[in-house]
Amino acid sequence: MIDDALLVQMLIGALLGVSVYLPLAAGQLSLATPAFYAVGGTLAALLSTGWPLLGASSDAGFPVPSFLLELLLGGLVAGALALLVGRPVLRLQGIYLAIATIALVEIVRVAILNLPFTGGAIGIFGIPQPFPTAAGYLLPALALLILAGLICQRLEVMPLGRAMAAIRNDELAASCMGIDTTRVKLTAFVMSAVLAGSTGALAAHFLNTWNARQGSFDTSVTMLAFVILGGSRTWLGPVVGGLLLTALPELLRPVGDVRLVLFGLVILLGPVLFPQGLITPTRLEWLGSLWERSASSKEVRP
Amino acid sequence: MIEAIVQILLNGAAIGGVYALVALGYTLVFSVLGVINFALGALFSLGGYFTYLLMGGAISANGGLPGWKLPFGLPFPLALLLAAVLTGLVSLLVERLAFAPLRRRQAEPLLYLITSLGAGLVLVNLLQMLMGAEGYAFPSTALAQLPEAVMIAGARIRSVQVLLLAVCATSVIALTLWLECSRRGRALQAVAEDATTARLLGINSDAMLRLAFLLSGGLAGLGGGLIGVSISLPGPYVGIGYGLKGLAVLVLGGLGSVPGAIAGGLLMGLAEALVPSEASGWRDALAFAVLFAVLLLRPRGLLGRRLVEKV
Repeated sequence: MIDDALLVQMLIGALLGVSVYLPLAAGQLSLATPAFYAVGGTLAALLSTGWPLLGASSDAGFPVPSFLLELLLGGLVAGALALLVGRPVLRLQGIYLAIATIALVEIVRVAILNLPFTGGAIGIFGIPQPFPTAAGYLLPALALLILAGLICQRLEVMPLGRAMAAIRNDELAASCMGIDTTRVKLTAFVMSAVLAGSTGALAAHFLNTWNARQGSFDTSVTMLAFVILGGSRTWLGPVVGGLLLTALPELLRPVGDVRLVLFGLVILLGPVLFPQGLITPTRLEWLGSLWERSASSKEVRP
Repeated sequence: MIEAIVQILLNGAAIGGVYALVALGYTLVFSVLGVINFALGALFSLGGYFTYLLMGGAISANGGLPGWKLPFGLPFPLALLLAAVLTGLVSLLVERLAFAPLRRRQAEPLLYLITSLGAGLVLVNLLQMLMGAEGYAFPSTALAQLPEAVMIAGARIRSVQVLLLAVCATSVIALTLWLECSRRGRALQAVAEDATTARLLGINSDAMLRLAFLLSGGLAGLGGGLIGVSISLPGPYVGIGYGLKGLAVLVLGGLGSVPGAIAGGLLMGLAEALVPSEASGWRDALAFAVLFAVLLLRPRGLLGRRLVEKV
């Protein structure tokens, strides 16, 4: 039921969940992730189909180093875009920020749909494959996720991460404590964009085709649902939420047309049943203590 | 020249009127509850399909009940009105399922975003199951009593456009009068201003909240029916695009401001009508580009009130 291709999709979902989580960890409800994801994906699709230097024409498949270079470039270009729009946009607060970022997603979507070189409604297809099977994508996707997880874990003890948490709790108080709130928010926003851009580049190769529908309003809110249902207090929450919610529509495929209704019901009832999300710091601590107890009981018992 | 201008103005105002209806739908709920009801786009779709079915339209071969239709067909004005009422009732159901459980435990506003969108997803996908994914065109007899076009100041205007404008204007004016002059309308405004004080003054704020949801769904349903008859229903997702445009209009005018929503809607409709047809692909981005620019210049919208956060 869960094959390699679905596993890669789930990992992509988890990566996008972390991308939405990063600004939220600094208290900023940004729904811009699909825009950066679309930018990264479009860039990779254009480069790999249109730039022979990368080795697209060779018969032995697309070279892996070029693929990795694209991941890097996708992240960098998305990050640069975030740096450009972030400063004015992050002055907005709460729901205004959310709607402005939805606007950004729509502008990017319509631009990709209408620009002369991005393939219009059909998009770009025949994106060359660096790996012979879907399983090949597991490693880079997992590596990207582990990298993102390590960075988030480090953030919890770093000054930047503490500043983000302080802004989330009370922005005014944080700025009174001498935290440069604009810079911290911008950093979180750019990190989120870099991650989404790299993920987009990976997804473009994995999906083999790329079009404007990849980043739209529905995807914005589905990604936000990853974070809210998974739990927005630790980075593990969006990872779990992204993995589960990406798998759900596929696992529900046997029930037929009702599956999307059921998916909607999960998103509707999730916050009602689990207002804190599935993964909360207290539940993690509880799991940790359970783990320690079972470990120590083994030591005592011999 | 004059004719061309009149044509553009009227076309823009007609579509802008629909945007204003949607934006007012958001405004009603936002002003009372302080959150945005993301299910409104789905309610818009629902209004369109209700109108189609009430007029005696049949479900297509790919729908859940192929060929089924109501045993009667209502004339368009009656169908539109009834569809708006039905959509309002569904909106009440959305409140019950997606908003009430969170409100009872005073959850953070972010969660409403997710639950209301979940409700919207459920509605749109139910529509898709029942009606199929393809588009529906209203029967050509829908507006048979009206002439195809009328001449206004020398310009030929489709009479559907005039109808659109008239219905939007009437509902907007009626809503404004009701809010300002009736006892209930003023009570709704009082709850929007300060729910606790309103409750202390003996206003049933829960009932007012439900009333806001009923009206908001009704406005969205009206919009859906009007777009259905004047253009067509391209599929269950039709309302999502209008819902997003309404959101842009809402913020453009300033959250929670009724005149702002009306002015923003008209402005947006006119701006879109001015886009030349060669660049029509970019038209959908215009609303958001305008929104983006306005937010950067006036972070609280054109007519929004400046809120000072108290510490």
